[in-house]
Amino acid sequence: MDKRLRNALKGLADPDLEHRRRAMEPFVRATFGIFIRCLYRYLGNEVECEDVLEDVYADIWQDPGHLRNVTDEKDLLRNVYLYYMRKHLREVYRRINRNSYLSQRDLMNLVAPDLSILEMMSQAELGQVLRRMLGRLKARERRAIELWMEGMSNRAIANELKTTVGAVKMLEFRTILKLKKMLSDCCRED
Amino acid sequence: MPQTNREIQELLIDYAGALRDGCMPDFLKSLTREEADKIASSAEFWQATEVTRILNSVGFADKAVTPDVGLFISRVNAAIACRLKKARASSPVKRNTDRSRGSKPTMQAQTWAEDLL
Repeated sequence: MDKRLRNALKGLADPDLEHRRRAMEPFVRATFGIFIRCLYRYLGNEVECEDVLEDVYADIWQDPGHLRNVTDEKDLLRNVYLYYMRKHLREVYRRINRNSYLSQRDLMNLVAPDLSILEMMSQAELGQVLRRMLGRLKARERRAIELWMEGMSNRAIANELKTTVGAVKMLEFRTILKLKKMLSDCCRED
Repeated sequence: MPQTNREIQELLIDYAGALRDGCMPDFLKSLTREEADKIASSAEFWQATEVTRILNSVGFADKAVTPDVGLFISRVNAAIACRLKKARASSPVKRNTDRSRGSKPTMQAQTWAEDLL
């Protein structure tokens, strides 16, 4: 673990609330980037990410018990997601559930799921594995995913690939399932 | 007009789009009862959501416009201060335990005692 992060975590172990409050600043500085990227995966919205993260840090200050035995960055992210972030992610969408036909369980699985092996990988590792897997796809499949990741709409992708929007959606769906299988196989091999 | 009775592949792509554009509430609200049932019973959908989140994270998390950490720390400090204040307000008030004052008989008690005697 990075020295700065290790020292920041030591400060959080202090039983005195005021001391812990002072220790929050180095902790936030060391972890803000990691945590906001993790939250962005589930929310896709910077403003909501900040709101949730503010409460997550306040929770950590109040009860840092779950971070006591953290050994590395991956462990830290896993514990923070499971014990602090997930609760707030659920709260974000609880209000909406009144107007939704999804069951409470499905909604929770959609917005604040359990961590899979893939999701426990670091951002850099994920990027590396994904690039490798994209290289193994057919040219048309890869192009559709790359254009989607550039932020293009399905209609624009359909124009680019000279096909219909429906065909693009089907192509993306099949490619995503193919990627899922490839990524799972890759994780098992590793 | 929102599209109704979408197939599972359309639902997944709409979910992915909502995640990418940061408008999940719109997607959740757009679901009809039939579509929600389709999602609940489709194993393929749940498998694909995992990869969709990863694509979202790898493709867009680094490009997200995040605020200055210094400014954010002041927000965290304010949240902590608010919780401290709440904790202090809800903690039980200390009672006045001045025993020397409590043991002294009051004027009224003294007059009652004199009447009795």
